Amino acid sequence: MFASRRLGKELTKMQGQLPPGITLVEADNLENWLLDIQVLDANPIYAGETYRLKFTFSQNYPIEAPEVVFVKDDTHSIPWHPHIYTNGIICLDLLDRSGWSPVHNVESVCVSLQSMLTSNTRKERPEGDENFVRYNTQRPRDINFVFHDNKV
Amino acid sequence: MPPGNEYAAEQLKAQGNACFKNGDYEGAEGYYSQAIQKNSSNPLLFTNRAMARNKLEKWEGVIDDCIRSIEQLPENMKAFHLLSQAQLAVNHPNEALSSALKAYEYCTKSTQQTTFSNAALISQHVLKCKKRKWEIRERERIRRRGDLLSDLEEMLERDHKKDLDDVDARMESGSTSRTEGHEEKEERRLEFEKKRDDLRTAFAISDPDHQQKREVPDYLVDGITFEIMHDPVVTNNGRSYERATLIEHLKRSPTDPLTREPLKISELRPNLALKEACQEFIESNSGWIYDCEDGEVDSDSRWAHLSHV
Repeated sequence: MFASRRLGKELTKMQGQLPPGITLVEADNLENWLLDIQVLDANPIYAGETYRLKFTFSQNYPIEAPEVVFVKDDTHSIPWHPHIYTNGIICLDLLDRSGWSPVHNVESVCVSLQSMLTSNTRKERPEGDENFVRYNTQRPRDINFVFHDNKV
Repeated sequence: MPPGNEYAAEQLKAQGNACFKNGDYEGAEGYYSQAIQKNSSNPLLFTNRAMARNKLEKWEGVIDDCIRSIEQLPENMKAFHLLSQAQLAVNHPNEALSSALKAYEYCTKSTQQTTFSNAALISQHVLKCKKRKWEIRERERIRRRGDLLSDLEEMLERDHKKDLDDVDARMESGSTSRTEGHEEKEERRLEFEKKRDDLRTAFAISDPDHQQKREVPDYLVDGITFEIMHDPVVTNNGRSYERATLIEHLKRSPTDPLTREPLKISELRPNLALKEACQEFIESNSGWIYDCEDGEVDSDSRWAHLSHV
């Protein structure tokens, strides 16, 4: 019930200025937005790449977390990370029901994902990636990830 | 009242409710009217009919029903909320604001959870009323200056009105459904406001001495809705939020939004000084907001008595 006004305000702010490495690609409606992120330091895993994120908002955003996934297409790949599955689904406590807080916003989520990539040194997929990608039918927000590894 | 009428009224009300649920608001209005003929001393029948009329956009009828309901049941959150919506729709933002504040007061007084979830809606509506008040004052101010900006604004307004009339006509003829029509109108309104604000900003930039763009300072803005606060509460760590939205969050996750430490609804305290500051900002800002002048209150006497309820 708050979503449209709050998103309108976020959009106005983001059209003004965004942190380096974050670009607003498409925000034609208040349900789905596309943003691009880049890792700007010298981390060799991500150097020179641009990754595309898709945000999906419910009516109850920001009380409820947005659904955020990486999108794969001709010019964008899914970044390597032990918490990012091949299908673009991200396992990050910030995006989970229990870790989300309504003071976060689209910009702060992008910044968190940037730093999640920056600090990673392992060119790996999560354990069980193949099975998860093949069998998962749930939407990201309905999955109960177990956050067993807080070091990454 | 002849015996049995009360029962008959209840039966009719149930039929009205069934119609309402199915989206048949005309039917619902009819049954509620019959129920009121049987028993005119039940305030809930009036609020129910007001809800049906609200859907049908029969604003005058909504206002009459709400006033009759409030006469019988003064601490009537629902009636004040509906009344306020109708008053805003017929362009009486001052009355709408005072009704909205009443609704909010009764809503937060209530201990029922279900009633409380209305608080967020009512809070938003309060802001809407305040905003409409600014807009009217602002238009007046610009009109008095009688310059190019006001001509341009009038053109935008005319276009906008034409768009709305066009949607209305299509809804009337049935080629656009009611829901679609309302969505389209909302879209048009946002477009219009955006254009108008851009226009004003452009003029403000070219003439900084006479106009300054109104920007609400961050410390008056709720970190959840990004709107200026009207009933701020403070948490254990000293941060303030709009009461209604913070409670929506706490119902889902009883943690401080910033620190994630446990936080209970009962630990919240009103932040009166901040509330005053928000109020003062709205009232005394000299940029886009023009000060309210005496005698600006709409002179419609039908609900004048309500401000003293």
